[in-house]
Amino acid sequence: MIEDDLRAAFARREELAPAVGPVRAAIDRAVVRRRRRRLRVRLAGTALAVVAAALAGFTVIAPRPAETPNLIAAPATPPPSGALNMLLVGADAAGTDGSRRADSILLVHLPADRSRLYLVALPRDLVVPMTGRGTGKLNASLAAGTDLTAGYQATRQAVAQLTGVRIDAGAVLTYRATRELTDAVGGVSMCLPAEIRSHHTRRTYPAGCQRLDGSAAVDVLRQRYNMPDGALDRDRNAARYAAGLLHRIREQGVLTNPVLLSRLITKVGSGVVTDTGESSLPALLAAAGTAATAEPVAVGLPVRHGGTKELPYGFRLDSALAPGFLDALRGDRLAEWTAAHPKQVTTLR
Amino acid sequence: MTYEEFADARLGALLRYAVMLTGDPHQAQDLVQETMVRVQLNWRRVARSDAPERYVRRMLTNQFVDWRRGSWARRVLLRGEPDEGVPAPADHAQSAVDRDQVWSWLSRLPRRQRATLVLRYYEDLPDAEIAEILGCAVGTVRSCISRALATLRAEYVEVC
Repeated sequence: MIEDDLRAAFARREELAPAVGPVRAAIDRAVVRRRRRRLRVRLAGTALAVVAAALAGFTVIAPRPAETPNLIAAPATPPPSGALNMLLVGADAAGTDGSRRADSILLVHLPADRSRLYLVALPRDLVVPMTGRGTGKLNASLAAGTDLTAGYQATRQAVAQLTGVRIDAGAVLTYRATRELTDAVGGVSMCLPAEIRSHHTRRTYPAGCQRLDGSAAVDVLRQRYNMPDGALDRDRNAARYAAGLLHRIREQGVLTNPVLLSRLITKVGSGVVTDTGESSLPALLAAAGTAATAEPVAVGLPVRHGGTKELPYGFRLDSALAPGFLDALRGDRLAEWTAAHPKQVTTLR
Repeated sequence: MTYEEFADARLGALLRYAVMLTGDPHQAQDLVQETMVRVQLNWRRVARSDAPERYVRRMLTNQFVDWRRGSWARRVLLRGEPDEGVPAPADHAQSAVDRDQVWSWLSRLPRRQRATLVLRYYEDLPDAEIAEILGCAVGTVRSCISRALATLRAEYVEVC
């Protein structure tokens, strides 16, 4: 009978079964790998949410990645009130020792009235006290510790000390993340006050508004040579880029469309480190305020040339303007301050 | 039940089941590994079902039936062909060869049919449970089995 032959054939093949031990170990290894991958994707998503929150003037920040199984379906938390400050750090290419420093450091201030966003550029060459290391330039704090996360924490601490405001959330964007983010929204429009010749790629970008794809945007964001104010001009371009990105995100309705948003989130790969806030993404999306529809205002932290003995080429706070500016920032009165000091405001369009 | 307890108790049986499905220890390992990774990642959902073991067996069977349709079939065929031209000196040996041919014929069956035969004649499950694992009606299971057996019988006739 064929049924009996089948049974016998099966029974004889039982010994072919692989040993349990190695298979079990292989499963566990694969699980660890896959969990890590999941976490990376989630981290990237969180970073994007922070960037989106920062730029769109959302009233809250990103979720904690480790505790939310699904970014979109995370439980809603009530949006926080009051002024918020978010830190966006653009990391440069890794140096020969593998460490990175910051190209641009933007403090995004969202006032309590949610009227608009303030993009405060913090010069990377600003001389600041470093924890346990005397003084150093602000951008060097990103190289502290072993990885970008540690570097971000050091930068965050330095910025908090410098400005006296609490940093509610933040993200580090590498070149790659910036490139992918830009391409994911279909390019970002930037309005340049003067022509830029790239020191790195020999491309030229004419004065005026233009749509830049990912690699062009990164190229522009890197430039500081051949510009009258060097790194300060680069900071202004970072603010222009942020304004263009915000405009683009708004234009595409990404933030109100979960499908588009999750597609964007998965497109932007790793290469981002984020600081997590206390609210979930739905709360963040739900809280989209009037700030998202208004043009942001960009302003540079008032600084002057002249560092310390060890760092003669750095910047220090402008003793005439900085105290008033920082008071305004801490007191959530940037609207008055920028109105009184129009020269400090960066033109974005 | 924790994932560890489940793996301690059931991994061996799942590996044997996978060998019967695929006919090959390496493919069996791939199949079990892929399934168990998903089981571990989603353990809370698996543990919530009334019979985790059946749930996992169902995952594994579906994986076998659906997964990598093209390449899997080709690989099974390549390995499944019996070594022809081996002489059979005695009747006793001939019957052993015949019985082994059943094994190689199995690899030519559609995977779903093979799965029903394994569940029926190796796992000795009732038709209702097979239907639940494959996600089909009991009648479909029966027709599946009878069609598979008919194919095997036809092979018998050809050889004899």
